[in-house]
Parts: sequence; structure tokens; C-alpha cells
Amino acid sequence: MTLKECYAALGGDYDEVMGRLRSERLVQKFVLKFLNDGSYQLLLDSLAAGDREEAFRAAHTIKGVCANLAFNDLLASSEQLTEALRDGKPAQPGEEALLARVKADYDCAYQAISAFQEGVGG
Amino acid sequence: MKIKTTRFLATSLIGVALLCVCVFSFLALHMGARSSRTINEVGSLYMSSMSQQISTHFESIIDIQMNQLEALAGTITSDAVHRDEALQQELIDQAKARDFTYLGFCGQDGSVEMLYGSQLTVIDVEPFLSSLTAGDKKVAIGTNESGEKVVLLGMPSPHEPTTDHTCAALVAGLPITYISDHLPLEENNERAYSFIIRRDGSFVIRSSTAYRNNYFERVRAIYEDVNGMTPDRYLEELGAAMEEGRDYSNEFTMKGERFHLYCTRLPSSEWYLITFMPYGAMDVIVIGFSREWASLTVFSGVLILTALLLVFYKYFGLTRQQLRDVESARAAAEEARRDAEHANQAKSEFLSNMSHDIRTPMNAIVGMTAIATANIDNQQQVKNCLKKITLSSKHLLGLINDVLDMSKIESGKMTLNLDQVSLREVVDGIVSICQPQVKAKHQQFDVFIHDISTENVLCDSVRLNQVLLNLLSNAIKFTPEGGEIHMALYEEDSPKGDEFVRTHIQVKDNGIGMSEEFQRHIFDSFAREDSMRVHRTEGTGLGMAITKYIVVDAMGGAITMDSKQGGGTCFNVTLDMEKALVMEEDMILPNWNMLVVDDDQQLCESTAASLNSIGVNAEWSLDGETAVDMVVKRHNRGDDYQIILLDWKLPGMDGIATARRMRQELGKNVPILLISAYDWGEIEHDAREAGITGFIAKPLFKSTLFNSLRHFADLPEETEQEKLRERGRDLTGKRILLAEDNELNWEIASELLSEEGLVLDWAENGQICVNMIEDAPVGYYDAVLMDVRMPIMGGYEATRAIRELDRADSGLPIIAMTADAFAEDVKRALDAGMNAHVAKPIDVGEVMRLLEKYIE
Repeated sequence: MTLKECYAALGGDYDEVMGRLRSERLVQKFVLKFLNDGSYQLLLDSLAAGDREEAFRAAHTIKGVCANLAFNDLLASSEQLTEALRDGKPAQPGEEALLARVKADYDCAYQAISAFQEGVGG
Repeated sequence: MKIKTTRFLATSLIGVALLCVCVFSFLALHMGARSSRTINEVGSLYMSSMSQQISTHFESIIDIQMNQLEALAGTITSDAVHRDEALQQELIDQAKARDFTYLGFCGQDGSVEMLYGSQLTVIDVEPFLSSLTAGDKKVAIGTNESGEKVVLLGMPSPHEPTTDHTCAALVAGLPITYISDHLPLEENNERAYSFIIRRDGSFVIRSSTAYRNNYFERVRAIYEDVNGMTPDRYLEELGAAMEEGRDYSNEFTMKGERFHLYCTRLPSSEWYLITFMPYGAMDVIVIGFSREWASLTVFSGVLILTALLLVFYKYFGLTRQQLRDVESARAAAEEARRDAEHANQAKSEFLSNMSHDIRTPMNAIVGMTAIATANIDNQQQVKNCLKKITLSSKHLLGLINDVLDMSKIESGKMTLNLDQVSLREVVDGIVSICQPQVKAKHQQFDVFIHDISTENVLCDSVRLNQVLLNLLSNAIKFTPEGGEIHMALYEEDSPKGDEFVRTHIQVKDNGIGMSEEFQRHIFDSFAREDSMRVHRTEGTGLGMAITKYIVVDAMGGAITMDSKQGGGTCFNVTLDMEKALVMEEDMILPNWNMLVVDDDQQLCESTAASLNSIGVNAEWSLDGETAVDMVVKRHNRGDDYQIILLDWKLPGMDGIATARRMRQELGKNVPILLISAYDWGEIEHDAREAGITGFIAKPLFKSTLFNSLRHFADLPEETEQEKLRERGRDLTGKRILLAEDNELNWEIASELLSEEGLVLDWAENGQICVNMIEDAPVGYYDAVLMDVRMPIMGGYEATRAIRELDRADSGLPIIAMTADAFAEDVKRALDAGMNAHVAKPIDVGEVMRLLEKYIE
């Protein structure tokens, strides 16, 4: 699996990230680091603990990382969740669905990157 | 409402007026009646005193005669006088001496035995006798033998009546004129006159006007009714008063004149004095008074009515004014409502329409992308396309910002971001953006520049682009297919001083133009001419409002227009822009001879001047034939032009044909460049075939000429210095503190910015960031890149904390870096004291630009 294929699998924009970071080496380095990023776990933990403010920050961070890496699918779903959590708003009816989408997109990205990682032997 | 008020006012006015008339009429009538009653009373008083006077007078003249008679009677010493001749003679002598006309004795039976004078008969002898018998003196009337009236004075005999009772009294007679002569019965000056009558109405003495023998007959004949008094009724009252011995007073009218009548009994007689007085003089006075009173009353009435009218009129006016005010307020409210509805509708339309101004550059991007895809192997072409896409994208971004910030513009808070701007780049960019549309509509588009002395000015390039794009896209929009659009640009000295240059931009088309009505509203928000002709034309309706705001309010320039419906439109923008203080590169070309061929003389002159200023000796020609002659002439001299600039469109022989002829004459050595405002892709094949060496794009700025022509000189393509200038200032070694809680984001930023030569330090949250700055020596960090959302301490808070530090470098540049990119996020960042805001994902170019801008 190439990096480009990996991007296609996780719903990202390879050309965009290449346009910004300019080298495949760098993109690969950051993409692999994504697997170790703790923001997603933080999001799940804070939501479980009912700390909506921390959850908002975690979602916001995911959004920022995805923007930098051009993970557009996860960027879109995390952005919606961020807005739902902004300013300590109470839980809205659709929030579960938003979270489910973030989970799905994250899992998708995680799997794609794991597969790519196996490919490069990292 | 209005009618109701008017009716109420009219009704009350009429009511009050009627009331006034009634009150004053009553007053006038009442006073009239009152004054006539007063006259009556005054008349009665006056008449009674006058009658009293006459009556007294009468008594006194009768008394005089009575005293004479009494004295005479005193001489009678015995009751046998009628038998005593001597005594009788004595009596006669004495009576004659006393001017008595008659003298006799009155018997008990009433018969008069005359001593002298003709025989007299007593009229109405009964009361006369009874008085005399009772021993009272009495006056009566009698007649002589010839029937003339005679006044009889009766003096009872001083002696006891004799046995034969023949003698009751001594009677003396006087002519009736004695009384009428001595009594003032007719007052000549006062017109008052009197009658003396007996109880049966017969006259004792009458005035000359009365010819009847009986007063009562006279009354019945000539008296007129007064106050419902018939003559009979009046006579009845008079008779009753006589019976009771009362005085009687009344008024009556005779022959149209009012009279007062007063009746009183005369003493010592059965006679009544009736005195008359016409009101005459008194009436005049009283009537004068009444008239004065009446006219005063009327005058007061009129005055009060006038005042009332005035008050009502004023009140009416006020009411009307109030009504008008209410009406105008209502109209204003209605107007405001309509305006609001209109604005609302316009906004709805705006929102529902796809913005034309946004589509314009978008179309360019899409079109250029398609061209690039189709020519993916032609690197030059793709590069060209990408360049145009970049220009359009930049503009698109600017426009989207505008739409988002429309409220900001409308509230007049838009500020300019002054930067060094190359007019050449601006015009090139705008031309590239407009080209696809112009081509699609088969319009003729030309750009003329002349007298451009300063290419680099200080201006907000996005706004300037926006203005030009607005004007041009409108011109394209409202010009039908095959129309012409001209853009002209020239400079002159600015009245603001030597540091400024006045730039004129003119955009002119021969399209549908605008109605005068619309021209008044063209600079309003959401304005678009609403007519069938433009119904299909798209647009935001914000374009001209933004344009005007930018040119006039923000840049302090002027915009004027000249348009006629069906006759095209011409916009003139005048801007005074500061000259950019840039080190103008020495643009010097070899001392060439060049030829410029164009049908526009101004362009030729301007281009030749530009070329001369960069060291080239330029000649020009307005048509192909002359140009070929000039080329041939020089060729024959062996002194060829080094480069020839040739317009594509020429009168007569066109550019391609001219080039072909020149090539035939010159061979292949002399470069011939085609001047074109258009994308030359379409004509490139023909042009190359005709021997055209290359192209040069209008408008021909000095730098355009220099950069296009330098290839033909032995000059380096681009100097190292230029490359550096393009990259901006060198920030190598600058130390940046990056506050970012996410390691991955930090690594990405660090990697990218390190490549630019920056040195980065990482702060994992706001608190650490503040601490690191506090611990570092002053000036250690050149700038801070600050994430906003961080644990422990966020970016806004950290910024405030840094700004509050008591350090010389607490004002260092802080740039927000966040995934939130709404206008309010930008505002919050600035409010917190940050210098600028940049959105994630990290755009190195943008970050570097901002750092360059803020790091001193």
C-alpha cells in the first residue's frame, strides 16, 4: 500500500497535503505519528467522564491535526462534533450520531494507516 | 378622522355663532324696550310737572278774576241788589273797569239775569249751580246770544239768599280768549300743546289743529293703536280716570308720530286739561342712544364672533397640522416598512442567487484547470494556466471574505491593508481573470496604459483588484456579445504632493447602459437594475456598493460615471496613491533601435516613451504598410531594427500579414514580437508560421517591456537578488515560540517552519508559553505562534498574560494559529491582543508572510 492509497482509503487529500508539506517523507512521518496521537482517547475518556469542556478541546485538537494532515473525512466529522461541544453546550439529540461518525472515520483512518505501516515495515 | 374633526369644528362654530347672535339680539331688543319704557317714564314725569304748571297757572289767572269778582261782590251790601238801580249801576261801572265783558246774577234755577252784556246761557248748568249753592267759586262755560263761548265765573252771593231765592250768585263773563291767551296751551318751541275739555269730551279751549267740537270724536277719528290700545279702550280708561279724579298718562301715535298724553283736572271747574307732547327731541336722543347701544352690541358681537372664528380657524389649522404630522409620520413608517421589506427582499434574493462576482474567478479556475488537464504534457501551458488559477483563487478568496464581512463593510469598519502593489501585476491579474469571459462573449477587450511613471504604489491590492474586477465584470455582464470594452490606466501628478501619484482608471463599454433612475441607486447595496433586459444577468448587487466604499470611503478617491441607456457606460476612478519606496531595479536595455507598430497613436507614443526611458531608441508606425517601408529602408541601409513590436489587429494589412512581409524582407534574424491583450493560444500557430518570434502581453508597462525584451539581450534571466526579493525578507535564525498542545501539530509546524530557516521552541500550553517568555532574556523570542485551544491555559489568556508582563518585549508579535476561522474568531484573537490570525491547516507561505510583516 502506498501513502497515496492510504490517503484514498481514509478519505484524505494526498495532493493537498503534499502541496503543503512538499515531501512524502514528511507526510509519511506525520501520518504514522497519528496512530500515537492521544487526542481521540482523550475525547472518548472525557465524554465518558462527562467533562464536556475537555472533550471539546480534544475534538478541536483532532480537527486541527486532521486539517494539517488533510484527513478530510475525519476533519469533517470532528468539526461537527467540535461545534456540538463548543461553549459547554448541553448534549443535543444528534450528538450520539456525530460521535458515531467520528468513531467510524477514526477507525477507518486508523486501519488504513495501520495497513500502510505494515507495508513500509514500520 | 379628519372629516369627523372638521365636522365637529364646523358644528361648534355655527353653534357658538348662533348663540352669539341670539344673546346679542336679545340684549339689543331688551335694551330697546327698556329705553322706550324709560322714555315713557321720563315723559310721564315731565308731562305731569308741565300739566301741574299749566294747572297752577290756570288757577292763578282764574283766581285773579275771582278776586276781582269777589271784590265786586263785596260792594253788594244787601240782597236786594237787583232792585237797587244805583247799586246795579255801581256794579256795572266797577265790572267794566275790571274788564268783565258780561255781568249778571244767576238765579236758583240757573237762569242768568244780565246786568250788562248780551244774554248768556250756562252750558251744563247742574254742577255749576250745585257748587255755587254750596258756596264755592266756580268756573263754567256758557254761550251768548250769537252762540259764542264765554267763560263764566260764578261767585256765590255773600248774603243769605233772599226769600224768593232768585239770586244765587254773581256771574261775570269773559271772552274765552282770556284763558287761551293767558294759558301757555301751545308751546311753540317744544311742540307741546294742550286742550281743555269737559267730561263729555267737548272742547272748552282747543288748539288750532283740532277742528271737531268733541275731543272724543277727534280721538276716534285720528288716533292710532298703540301697544294694542284701541281708541275706544283708551277713551274708556280716560273716562274712568276722570270719574275717579285721577291723573291719566299714556302714549299714543297720531299721524305716525308718537305722543305722550297727560290728563289732569283743572281746579274750580269741571274741566280737564289734556296736554300732548310729541316725543320728538327726546326720541332723537334716546334713539341715538339706542342706536349707539345697538351698534355697540352688534360691533361686540361681530368682534367676539371674529375672535371665535380666528380661534377656530387657528385650532382647525393646528388640527390639520397635527393630522398632517400624523399622516406624514404614518407615511414615513410606511416608507420605512417598505424600505425594510425591500432590503429584506433584496437580501433574500442575494442569498438565493449564486454570486456572480464569486463565479467570475471560479469560472476562470475551472476553465484553466480544464485547459491544463487537456495540455498536461505542455509544461509551459500548464504553468501558464496554474499562474492564472493562482490569481483567480486569490481573488476568489478575497471576494468570499468580502461577502462574509459584508456587515463590516456596511457598518463602515472596513480597513485597508496597505502594501506595496505593482500596478502591472494588478492589471495583468485582472486581465487574466477577465479573458475567459470576454472570449466567451466574443467581446473586444482592450487595455490602454499610458504615462505610467510609477508602477509600484502603496495600496490594498485585494481591494484594488476588487474594484477593477467589479467594474470589468459589470462591463462584460452588461455588454452584449460582440461589444467593446476598454480599460485605460494613466497617471499624473497628485495634488497631495510628490510622494503621491494620481492614477486614473477608466472602464468603458458600449453595452446597454443604465437608466438615470438606476444611476442614482447604483451605489446602494443590493442594487440591480430591474428590467427585462438585465433580468437574466447574475450578480450579488453588492459590487458597486463595495466598489464605491473602497474607492471613496476607504481609499479617499473618487468614482464618477457617465452612462446612457443603450449608449454604454463609462466609469472613471481616480486614486491618489503613495509611491512605494522600492529600490527600482536598474531597468536598462542595450541601445537598440526598435519599431512599435500599433493603430493606436497614444499606445505607440506611450510605449516609445517607456522604451526610451529604459535605454531603447524607439520609433513607431500606425499601420502595417508604413511599418514595412520603414523596415525595408533601414534594412537597405544595413541598420536593422533590433526588435519589432507588432500589434495583431491593424487597419489594412493585419499583424500576421505584416509579419510575413517583414520576414520576406529581413530574413530570420530580427525578432518580431506580437502585442496582444488576448491569450495567444488561438493565433499562435498562424503567428509562428508567419515568422513571429514571440508574444508580448498588453498592457505594456515599462517592466513588462523590460522583462519581455531582456531575453534578447545578454542579461541574466533573473538575478539572485530578485529571487530573494520574491521570497521576501530573510528570517533565517529568528526564534519562534510555538504554543501548541498537540505533539503532531507541533511537529508538522516545526518541520515546515524549520525548513524556512526559523528556530522553533515548543510550549505545550499557554502557561508554559508565558513561563518560557518570562524566563528567557529580553528579545530572545522574535515572535509567538499561539494555538487557541490548549489545556491549563488557552491562547487568549496566555496572550493577555504576555501583554501584561513587565518586560521590554511584552509587545512581541503573537500570531493566532487555530482551526477556527470565522470572523468572530479573528476578532477575538485581535481583541485578546494578538497581532494576526492564521487558520489551520498551516499555510507556510501565509505564516511566513505574517512573520515578515510583524518581526522588526
